Amino acid sequence: MRHEGAAVEARALSDEQRETALKLVAKYPNPRSAILPLLFLVQSVEGYVTETGMREVAGIIGLEPAQVLATASFYTMLKKAPQGDYLISVCRNIACTHLGGRKVIAALEDRLGVTAGETTEDGKFTLESAECLATCDGAPSLQVNYEDFYRMSAVEAVALVGRLERGEQVTSFRGEAVKSAREISYETAVAGLQAPGTAGELSERTIGGESPRSDTAPGTRPKETGEGSPNA
Amino acid sequence: MPEEVRIVTRRLHEFPEDSWRIERALDDGAYESARKTITSMTPDEVVAVVKDSGLRGRGGAGFPTGMKWSFVPKDVFPKFIVVNHDEGEPCTFKDRQLAEEDPHQLLEGIAIAAWANQATKAFIYCRGEFALGSRRLDRAINDAYERGFLGKGIFGSDFDLDIILHRGAGAYICGEESALLDSLEGFRGQPRLRPPFPAVKGLYGRPTVVNNTETLSALPSLLENGAEWFRRLGTERSPGTKILSVSGHVNRPANYEVPLGTSLADVLTLAGGMLDGKAPKAIIPGGASAPLLTSTDVAVDFDSLKEAGTMLGSGSIVFMDETTCMVRNALVTLEFFEHESCGKCTPCREGTWWAVKVLERIEHGEGRDEDMDLLIDIANGIDGRAFCPLGDAASWALRSNVKLFRDEFERHVSEGRCPFDGELVGVSGSPARHEGLGGSGTAPQPGAGMPSDAEPEGN
Ligand SMILES: Cc1cc2nc3c(=O)[nH]c(=O)nc-3n(C[C@H](O)[C@H](O)[C@H](O)COP(=O)(O)O)c2cc1C
Ligand code: SF4
Ligand code: FES
Repeated sequence: MRHEGAAVEARALSDEQRETALKLVAKYPNPRSAILPLLFLVQSVEGYVTETGMREVAGIIGLEPAQVLATASFYTMLKKAPQGDYLISVCRNIACTHLGGRKVIAALEDRLGVTAGETTEDGKFTLESAECLATCDGAPSLQVNYEDFYRMSAVEAVALVGRLERGEQVTSFRGEAVKSAREISYETAVAGLQAPGTAGELSERTIGGESPRSDTAPGTRPKETGEGSPNA
Repeated sequence: MPEEVRIVTRRLHEFPEDSWRIERALDDGAYESARKTITSMTPDEVVAVVKDSGLRGRGGAGFPTGMKWSFVPKDVFPKFIVVNHDEGEPCTFKDRQLAEEDPHQLLEGIAIAAWANQATKAFIYCRGEFALGSRRLDRAINDAYERGFLGKGIFGSDFDLDIILHRGAGAYICGEESALLDSLEGFRGQPRLRPPFPAVKGLYGRPTVVNNTETLSALPSLLENGAEWFRRLGTERSPGTKILSVSGHVNRPANYEVPLGTSLADVLTLAGGMLDGKAPKAIIPGGASAPLLTSTDVAVDFDSLKEAGTMLGSGSIVFMDETTCMVRNALVTLEFFEHESCGKCTPCREGTWWAVKVLERIEHGEGRDEDMDLLIDIANGIDGRAFCPLGDAASWALRSNVKLFRDEFERHVSEGRCPFDGELVGVSGSPARHEGLGGSGTAPQPGAGMPSDAEPEGN
């Protein structure tokens, strides 16, 4: 044991959540594959990936905490600082920008008194600019806790904030109820967990499989499978 | 008047209210094609049909699907199917609609691909931000298990198939197939050296077929109707239909399914023409990675667009009218690549960063006369030197914006301001990164949230 002699280790997950974590691990042939779902599970507890949570994930899947951090820090949806109850992600990509998306960001920055990337003081909102959300048919578009809002003008976006502030139940353009940030983290963590497909049998059969992992590959240029450089 | 040919998108147009429900899909004949395929064809026969059809991957690279499948070694088990549902190429929104509104067609396609390749486990790598799509897929998978279309002995055969839904967590590069596999194995999603290709050594080092959502969704109708039928649509070298995600300054931005080889002018007509009857100034024909076009006089298929110096890519088409500032367009595009560069190789990581700096100063009226050449220099420094196609794509996009619209860039410099409707507002950027939280683009940030006693030996 690494932390021999230390007092009982701080826990981020409840017993029930730990059980869920073990089920998530069992979905995969290799425990490490469960790292993203486990980190979403941790995020569902306090709204972000806490240090205690990362340690616990490391313990569950047999990694060092630093390895867990190295993976977590790569992914934008895994938040490493406290977040608002509502994460507003406004697309800043091509179609949205050309149709006024940046004005929506500016209006929300004004309304919330933060710059994109920050959380309001009352902890209610986090504003971020996002890359293409694949809702360009509704540009300019945004997501609130990953539910989609199409064709948002600056005025409409500000009005949306007002409704969330007043605690109204808000539904997305597709009719989905906006959940809290923690609920949606939980939902992301357990996606697919109900399905009966397990990887148990698989893990035995995979023994000996060895991946040509990216971080062990030498830095030579790979051959391309697709089309070559069109400008070549 | 051009018309769509709706095959892969048929069900979701005919039953827009509930095309995603299994009851509706079954009424419409869902899973019949997979049932017939699995109970009456050998895997080799299926691979042969897909080869003969000439179906090319719809995820961006356009690689012939049947050929990819034929690289999979026959005697190594287990094998995997991995569905690339990480759709992140800017202005592409076809996979999202397919999974949200016709998830059963996708599952049926997965079953066909699994049978053809003798893979008994399939993973769907679903983009993290796709909450609704994931919900629909999750539900669809459970419903399919309940009816015996998944699990042990599917369709009464002795073939087992499990589908495991896996969510990404926000990183465009994980759409690149080898980075996707690293991500699925629990690592930072960075591209692998190839060869070996995933078909030979992929997930957990096992033979793995990575296919795009649209590619797999095209299989049920293909297997039902045969290769010859498929080849009657599209062109000789780009057979079949393709879903085009059309956005930008058009009246009806949406997905349109057309035979490959349809003219770009017809695509614009389908999308209701340009907003306010303006003229298109620049067109992105295949996602942010594709060099720009300035004319609609070209056929939309893999080869015609390649001849025109660009590419079909994922099939997303952005029309931009004359009010568009092309410096801003280049800046937004490069900001994207800079943010999504995985940081593994220097030309891409540093080059995209510098390009953004230079483009920012031009857009803000502080550009210098030599900046246009500098940008071309930066592009040349990335192209052909990057580890994966993301870096190359960034350089092509940059170069084509500067080359085609150099006069606009020069006006920004000589007038000392953006001649269009003011400067880019609200660029505060993205920011997981500026927060020091480490966006997908950065190397790990020393000390940022680092557990304080992370050393192997602990306290
Ligand atoms: C930077 C980059 C991003 C990519 N993103 C996606 C993506 O989001 N979805 C996808 O299907 N393919 C994407 N691809 C292409 C995949 O690497 C791969 O070619 C594809 O999934 C194979 O499936 P297909 O043959 O059915 O198209 C991307 C490639 C690169 C280089
Ligand atoms: S080209 Fe960019 S995205 Fe690709 S490996 Fe290099 S740094 Fe990563
Ligand atoms: S460009 Fe904004 S959603 Fe695609």
